[in-house]
Amino acid sequence: MVESFLQPLNIFLLGLGGGFLIPLLYRLSKRLPAVAFWTALAGIAIISGACLWRLLGGADAFEIETAGTAPPLAISLRLGPAEGFFAFWVNLAALFGAWHLWHRLRDSYTFLLLYLILVMGINGMIMTRDLFNLFVFLEIVSIATYGLFGLGQTRAAMAGAFKYIMATVLASSFFLLGAAMLYHVTGTLSIDEMIARRDLIAGPIGTTALVLVLACLVIELKPFPANGWGLDVYETAPAGVAALVSVGVSAGVFFALLKLMPLFAPQLTLIAVSAAVTFLFSNLVGLRQSNVQRMLGCSSIAQMALLVLALSLLMRHGEDDALPLVVGGLFFNHLFAKAGLFWLAGAVRRRRIGGWNILSAGAPFIFVFCSLLVAIAGLPPFPGFWAKWELVLRLAEHGGYAWIAVVLLGSLLEAAYLFQWFGRAVKPGRGEPAGRVPRWGLFPAAACVALLAIGGMVASRAAGAASVWLHAPLVAGAALLVIEGLPGRARCLSMLLVVFAAGTWMAQGIGGINGLFAALLLSGGLVIAAAGLYRGDARPGYHPLMAVLLLSIVALLRASTSLEFFFAWELVTLASAFMLALSPAARGVLLQFLLFSLASAFLILAGFAIARAVTGTTDLAAFLAAGPAAAPAFVLIALGCMVKIGVIGAHVWLPASYAKADDDFSAMLSAVVGKVAVFGLFMAAYLATRSNAGLELARVVGWIGILTTVIAALLALQQADMKRMLAYSSLSQTGYIVTAVALMSHLGWVTALYLVANHLMVKGILFLAAAAIIERTGLRRLDACGGLVGRMPLTFAVAIVALVSMSGLPPLAGFGGKWLLLSAMVDRGWYGPLALGVLATLVGLLYMLRFGHALFLGPLKPEHAELREAPAALLVPQFVLVAGILLLSFFPKLLMDPVSAAIDPQFASTLVWQGMSLELIYAYWNPARAMAGAVGLALLGAGVLWVIYRIGRWPSRAGGPTRFFRYYRPLLAPMLASHAERFWEAVSVAVGGAAGAARRVYTGNGQTYALQVLAYVLVLYFFVAVFPMIRGG
Amino acid sequence: MGLPISHLLLVTGLVLALIGMWGVLVHRNILRIIIGFSLFGTGMHIVIVATGYVTNGTAPIIDQALPIGEAAARAVDPVPSALVVTAIVIGFSVTAIMLSFAIRLYEARKTLSIDAFTDSKW
Repeated sequence: MVESFLQPLNIFLLGLGGGFLIPLLYRLSKRLPAVAFWTALAGIAIISGACLWRLLGGADAFEIETAGTAPPLAISLRLGPAEGFFAFWVNLAALFGAWHLWHRLRDSYTFLLLYLILVMGINGMIMTRDLFNLFVFLEIVSIATYGLFGLGQTRAAMAGAFKYIMATVLASSFFLLGAAMLYHVTGTLSIDEMIARRDLIAGPIGTTALVLVLACLVIELKPFPANGWGLDVYETAPAGVAALVSVGVSAGVFFALLKLMPLFAPQLTLIAVSAAVTFLFSNLVGLRQSNVQRMLGCSSIAQMALLVLALSLLMRHGEDDALPLVVGGLFFNHLFAKAGLFWLAGAVRRRRIGGWNILSAGAPFIFVFCSLLVAIAGLPPFPGFWAKWELVLRLAEHGGYAWIAVVLLGSLLEAAYLFQWFGRAVKPGRGEPAGRVPRWGLFPAAACVALLAIGGMVASRAAGAASVWLHAPLVAGAALLVIEGLPGRARCLSMLLVVFAAGTWMAQGIGGINGLFAALLLSGGLVIAAAGLYRGDARPGYHPLMAVLLLSIVALLRASTSLEFFFAWELVTLASAFMLALSPAARGVLLQFLLFSLASAFLILAGFAIARAVTGTTDLAAFLAAGPAAAPAFVLIALGCMVKIGVIGAHVWLPASYAKADDDFSAMLSAVVGKVAVFGLFMAAYLATRSNAGLELARVVGWIGILTTVIAALLALQQADMKRMLAYSSLSQTGYIVTAVALMSHLGWVTALYLVANHLMVKGILFLAAAAIIERTGLRRLDACGGLVGRMPLTFAVAIVALVSMSGLPPLAGFGGKWLLLSAMVDRGWYGPLALGVLATLVGLLYMLRFGHALFLGPLKPEHAELREAPAALLVPQFVLVAGILLLSFFPKLLMDPVSAAIDPQFASTLVWQGMSLELIYAYWNPARAMAGAVGLALLGAGVLWVIYRIGRWPSRAGGPTRFFRYYRPLLAPMLASHAERFWEAVSVAVGGAAGAARRVYTGNGQTYALQVLAYVLVLYFFVAVFPMIRGG
Repeated sequence: MGLPISHLLLVTGLVLALIGMWGVLVHRNILRIIIGFSLFGTGMHIVIVATGYVTNGTAPIIDQALPIGEAAARAVDPVPSALVVTAIVIGFSVTAIMLSFAIRLYEARKTLSIDAFTDSKW
C-alpha cells in the first residue's frame, strides 16, 4: 500500500487530480480546497523524497512507461538519482513557498490550482524522457506561471507579466518547431533514442532544429542581454511568485537542458560563452539596482548562468564525476538561498534597497538574512563554497584560466551588490520604522538556512574536507549562540573558555612554523579577547563570532590541504567582517573591507587551483616539490596575502576598518587577524623557495614592503584620530614584516617571526590603551586629550613600554627585531630598502612621540580632572602583553630557538644563518654599531627637522611638540589625498558606469524584449550553423 | 504541377509565421500583438504538419486498404499532426491568458499601446 503510494507517477496523479478536485471541492465547502492543496503538495514532496531516499539507498532508477507500450512509441518518464535530487528539493522549496505565499494563495482557489499544476509541471520537465512531452510540461509550467502572475495587482506587475509571456511564448514556439524538426530527421521523439541517433542530426534541418531547441532552453534561463522580461517579472511579481520562477521554473528548464546536453555536444563551448557573458553582465547590472527584487533577479539569472557554465565546461572536459558536487551543490545552494532571500524580501515589504532597515527586525531575522547572503555569495560553510572550489580546481586542471577569471570576477561583483544591500539594511539612525516580520513569516527562510547548513556539511564530505576540527569553529560559534541569553560578561567568559579548550585541542600536533604561529596567535588572541570583559553590554553576536574567528585561525594553521586552508581563510574573513559590522560606525566601510578580503581570497583560490593542477593534489606538503611550473601559483597566493595585509596601493580598506571597529576588536584585528595574512605570505615564500619555483619577485615584494612601511608611517603622522593613527602604524610595521619575509633568507624569516611576535604585543597594548582612553574620555582625537599621565598612570606606563618597543629603541624587543632586519638587508645588499627603512624609523619615532605626547603629556584638559584609571579588564591583558614584550626582549632565545629549529635546518645551512644563537649573532654582527647608526641617523633627522621648525617659526616663540607637528603636517598634506584612494574610487566609478551602460538594454518595452529574443536566436544560429562554415570554407 | 503540396504548405506556413512575427514586432497595439502571436503559432503548426506529409500518401489508418507493412511507406506520418493538435490546445490557452492580461492592462491604463507599459526598466 505504502509502496504503491510512493511511486513517482503519483506525483502527476496528485498534481492533476488535486488540480481537478479543487474547483469541485470548492462547491462543497470553501475550506476543502485548502485541505486538498496541502495534501497534494505535501504528497508530492513526500513521494519525491521517498523515491530519492530509495535511489540513494542503491535502488534502480524508476522507469515509468505509459500507454502500455515501450518507448519510443509511448512517452516514458524516469526518476533516477539526478532527477530525484532536483525534484525533491524543488518540491520541498515549493512547500515552503506555499507557506510564505499562503495569505495570497488562499484568496482564490484558482491560485491553489495553478500553484499545484506548476509544481507538477516542473516535476514533469525533470522526469520526462520525451521531447514533445517536455514541450507540453514546459507549457504547463509557463501557463501556470502566467496565471500566478495574476497575484500581482499593480500595473507594473501586469505589464511585467505580459512582457514575460511575449518572450516565453516566442521561445516555446521555437522549441515546438525544433522538436518537430528533430523528429523529422531522427524519426523519434524519445530523448534517449534521439541521443543514440545523434549522427542523424545534421544538415540544414537538423542543425536548425538543434539551434531552435537550444535557443528556447537558453532563453528560458534568461541570457544577457535578452533577459529584460525576466528582470521585470522578478521586480514586479509578488516575492513568493518571483521566488518560484527563480528557483522552481528555472530548475525545470535547467534540468531539461541537462538531459538534452548530449545532443549539444559540439555546442558546449558556445553554451559556456553565453553563460559566461550572462554571469558577468547580470552581476554587473546588479550593482546598479535599487529595487530589492530586481537585484535578486540579477543574482538569480547570474546563478543559473553559473550552473550552465559549470555544466557545459565540466561536460566538455569529460569531468562528469564532478557534476554531483559542482552542479548539485550550486543548484541546492541557489535554490534555498535565493528562495529564502525572496521570501525575506516579501516578508519585509520594502521594495527599495534604500528603504531596508532590518535593525529592529530582531536577531533571528538578521542571522537568517546574513546566512542567506553568505550562502548566495558562495562562502563557507554552505554548499556553494564547496561547489565553486571544486569547479575552479577542475577548470584549472584543463587550463581554463580565463573561465576561472570569469567565475571569480562575477562572484566578486555579486558579493559587492549583495553586501552593499546588507550594509544599507544595517545602517543605523535613519529613524524610519522597519518592516516588522512576524515570527511565522521567518519560518521558510530559516528552514532554508538549516537545510543549507546541512547541505554544506554533506558537500564538505564530498569535497574531502570533513575533519571534525575543521568544523569545530562553527560548532563552537553555534554553541555560544545558544547561550546568548546570558549576561554580557558571562558570555565573554564562556567564549574564552570555549576558545581555550577547543583551541588547545585543535592546536595539538601542529608543528614547525605553523605551531609557532598557532601558539602565538591563540594565546595572543585569548589575551586580547579577554579585554572584551570591560564591556558589560549585550553585544549580540560578538562572542560567538569571536570564537569562530579565533578558532578558524587555529584551523587555518592546522590545515594540511589547500582546501582546508582556504575554508579557514574564508571563515576568518567572514567572522571579522561581521564583527566589524557590529560596530555601527564601521558599517560604512564594511563593503570595502569585504571586497578587498574577497579579492584577496579569490587570488589565493586561483593560486591554489594552479598549484593543484601542477601537483595533482591539494596537499600543501606536495607544494614543496612543485617545481618552477608552480611559480604563477605562488605569485597569486602571495599577491592575495599582500592585498589582505593591505600593502600600499591595496591598503585603502585597512585604516578605516581598524579605526571604526569596536575598540577592543580593533586590537584583535591589528594584532592577531592581520597576522593571518602574514602567515599566508610567509607560507607562500617558504614553499616557493623550497620548491625551487625560481621566484625573482622577492625583490619586488621587498620594495613593496618597505614602501608600505614608509608611506604608512608618513600617513600615520598626519592622522588626528588616535585609532586611525594606530591603524597606519600597524600597516607600517607590517610592511617591515613583508620586507623581512621577502628577504627569502633564514635570517630574514627569523626576523619576520620576531617582528610578528613583537608587533602582536605592541599593537595589542596600544589599541587597548586607545580603547581605555576612549572609554574614559569618549574622545578619539589626539589633540583633544592631553596630560592623562596623572589620571591614567598605568595605561601610560604600558603604552610607553609598547611605544619604545615598537620604535626600535634599545633595550626592548623592537630593537632586536629592527636590528635583525637591518642586518639581513645589509646581508642581501638591499641598500635602497635599507635607506628607506632608516627613513621610516625616523618617521616612526616622530608619530610615536606624538602619540605619547598628545595623549599623556602636556596640560590636562579641565573636563578630564575627574577621570579614573582604565578598567582592570583592559589593564590586565595589557600587562600580560607587557610581560610578553619583556620576555621577548631579555630572553629572545625562547622564541629564536624554536623559530630557528622550525625553519628547516637543511635549508638553513645553505643560507646565511649558521645555526648560531642570537647572542652569537649579536656578537658576530656587532649590533651596537649598526643600530646605533640607524637610531643615530633617525635622531639626527629629527634634530634637523626641529631646527628647520625653529627657524621657520622665527621670530615668534617656539611652542611645544604639538606646534612642531602642526608645522610639519601641511608639508605632508599632498599625501593626504592618497593616490591609491583616488585610484580605487575611479575603479568603482568606472565599474558603476559600466553597469549603468549595460543595463541600458533593458528599455522596459515588451517589443524590444521580443526583438532581443529573436536576435538571440539568430546570433546563436549564426554561431552554430554559419560560423563553422565560414571558418571551414 | 510538380510542386508537392507539402512544399506549398511549408512556404505558406513560413510566410504566415513571418507575418505573425512582423505583427508582434511592429504593431503597438497589444491586441494586434496577440493576433501576431496567433498567426506566428498557426504558421508554425502548418510547417510542422507539412513536415509529416508523404507525397501521395494516404491517411494513416491501418486496415485492409493499408496493411501494417506498407504503413511507413504509404501513409502520411501522423505524429506531427498529433503534436500540432496538442500545440493548438496549448496555443489556445496561451492566447486566452494573453487576452485576459490585455483586458487588465487596458483597465489599468485605458490604453492598449504597449509603449505605455514600461514601468520597470533598467
